[in-house]
Amino acid sequence: MHNLVSALQPGDTVPNGPLPDGSTLFERRGRPIILAFAPTEWDPAQAHQSAIFARLSQEFGSGVAFAEAAPEAWHSLDYRGELAIHLGVAGQRALLLLDEEGVLRWKTVVEPGQDIRPGQVLAALQALRPEPLDAPDLAAASTEVLTGGMSRRTFVMATLAAAALLALPSVVAAAPETALPSPPPTDNRSAMLPVELNINGKSHRLQLDPRTALLDALRENLHLTGTKKGCDHGQCGACTVHLDGHSALSCLTLAVMAQGKAITTIEGLAKGDTLHPVQAAFIKHDAFQCGYCTPGQIMSASALLADQHTRHGSAVEIREAMSGNLCRCAAYPNIIAAIQEAQRA
Amino acid sequence: MHPFQYQRAESGDQAVAVVAKNPDAAFIAGGTSQVDLLKEGVHQPSLLVDVAGLPLRQITDFEGGVRIGANATNTEAAYYPAIQARYPAVSEALLAGASVQIRNMATMAGNPLQRTRCPYFRDLDQPCNKRTPGSGCAAIGGYNHVHALFGASAACVATHPSDLAVALSALDARVQTTGPRGSRTIAFPDLHRLPGTTPHLDTVLEHGELITSIDLPAFAGRSHYLKVRERASYAYALASCAVALEMDGAKIKRARIALGGVAHKPWRATPAEALLAGQQPTEKLFQAAAAAAFADAKPLEHNAYKIPMGRNLLVRALLETSGLQPLQGPAGTAFAASVGGMAGQVATPN
Repeated sequence: MHNLVSALQPGDTVPNGPLPDGSTLFERRGRPIILAFAPTEWDPAQAHQSAIFARLSQEFGSGVAFAEAAPEAWHSLDYRGELAIHLGVAGQRALLLLDEEGVLRWKTVVEPGQDIRPGQVLAALQALRPEPLDAPDLAAASTEVLTGGMSRRTFVMATLAAAALLALPSVVAAAPETALPSPPPTDNRSAMLPVELNINGKSHRLQLDPRTALLDALRENLHLTGTKKGCDHGQCGACTVHLDGHSALSCLTLAVMAQGKAITTIEGLAKGDTLHPVQAAFIKHDAFQCGYCTPGQIMSASALLADQHTRHGSAVEIREAMSGNLCRCAAYPNIIAAIQEAQRA
Repeated sequence: MHPFQYQRAESGDQAVAVVAKNPDAAFIAGGTSQVDLLKEGVHQPSLLVDVAGLPLRQITDFEGGVRIGANATNTEAAYYPAIQARYPAVSEALLAGASVQIRNMATMAGNPLQRTRCPYFRDLDQPCNKRTPGSGCAAIGGYNHVHALFGASAACVATHPSDLAVALSALDARVQTTGPRGSRTIAFPDLHRLPGTTPHLDTVLEHGELITSIDLPAFAGRSHYLKVRERASYAYALASCAVALEMDGAKIKRARIALGGVAHKPWRATPAEALLAGQQPTEKLFQAAAAAAFADAKPLEHNAYKIPMGRNLLVRALLETSGLQPLQGPAGTAFAASVGGMAGQVATPN
């Protein structure tokens, strides 16, 4: 079943499935539907997709008769939820557009670690576009069926979905020719900034709200989920990364301020299939139980061993140097043993 | 988090000009304290001017002392050889504070500018004159075990949290700034202010005034920092003290003492300093000095424990600084600065 639905292609009729409001996809037929799958633990510092969508639909659709109805078409769904599994997009950020007949018109999946490029979205829009439309056509939009079997309503929905997708924080800056009006800064939001981050030797370009912590950019925008969010206030060390070779807390680092630094995350520590000596020693000494703090512990420990002031420390000096990394499972004796082993390596 | 605009400073002068003309703008450098306060909603600037990239990171020998650039990290300063050797109180205060990660990020100018750890300051549902002037003080009638013994007012009983500031006060460091009205030098003990009726102002810095360096003046004596906290590591001081002693043969020529965790600023114990000058160091003398240091303490409902704790801590710091008692760890490390916990577990080199 999973394989079958994961092969859903534009033009396929989407099987029935439950929506969070208790209705089903089949019951919603007669109107286009946009299904947006995303992590539910969206950081409040980043605007939620549906909020972006609502804003864009207001701006894009000013004067469009059914702009008010547009938000009804939008369903924000947990990417680990039942429908995500049912439609074969579990664990992926995805946008699906279903037309009035329940036929999949458009599907875009954000693969882990990847960004959507504006070109992909525009190409999808071009493919969907039944014929050139101009603003008066949009203003007169109705359920009228255009050539190609797509209604204006569906097309406008698709355009709005694409616009929303382009506005997602993980997405590369929209090209100017998309002609989407860039909303003026208002009192309740920060202007998005282009941010270039050098992570594990690779450069990433993002559009970010300046409030975005490096931790959230890593996890939510770049899907580098090895770095963990524990307390989010600099007290637990689960989010430890290396900035220019020194351990640092990604939760207390604004992403925009990490530009120009060499950022190393737990994903970048091993050399290919060869584990870093600290990683190997953690496995050998069983230096974890639940494992949630482990990436942070390993990033602190590997920085400690690279630092001339701490690399030869005794057990008690290691404890002191590791005091910024908490372990609720209290695997501390094994963590110390692992670090001492890596010290000898 | 309240929305804000972000700008990278092009120069010190440009950063000062931008912040000075916008009352809601703030500087940001290491961000360890600032980002947390942004997340808590305690700080709500409309514009952050990032000064971390300004070329203010050098630590250099300067007029027989050391000039520490504002952007030097806490780690860089703590391990700078001339600081660790000649101003161990500074390294001890730094290394006994925060965690490695935070010390790697936090800057030397930012550390003394961190805001109080009074829990009511960070709780938006509680009144706090420091956060919202005129709203009242929840700590005075609340749970005030971490609050001030000295210099408090009817508006605020908060304490200053920085360990480093205590050491810099005892050493009479100098703060170099550039601001909307030009450059100036501020004696470190004058940088922070008492709460009075305006507890929202922590320091005498004007809006838009930027610290460019912290200068340690030439000093040939001994210095030491000692701290009591609720955990062995990575915790703020309940009480702390920094001692700087200059000897004349077997007698104390000059003693300077700053107390931490007991006031809105590092609290210089001037009665104790006066009592020590010209005297031969003995435990009895140090006990008299500690009694003098805390004679004017005004405890609140839950913090009277800090008086005997602070007195004992000061006696011990004086004994260790003068050499009458050994340090509990190598000078210039967290182990020398700690009481209990890991203190005494790392051998002091002979």
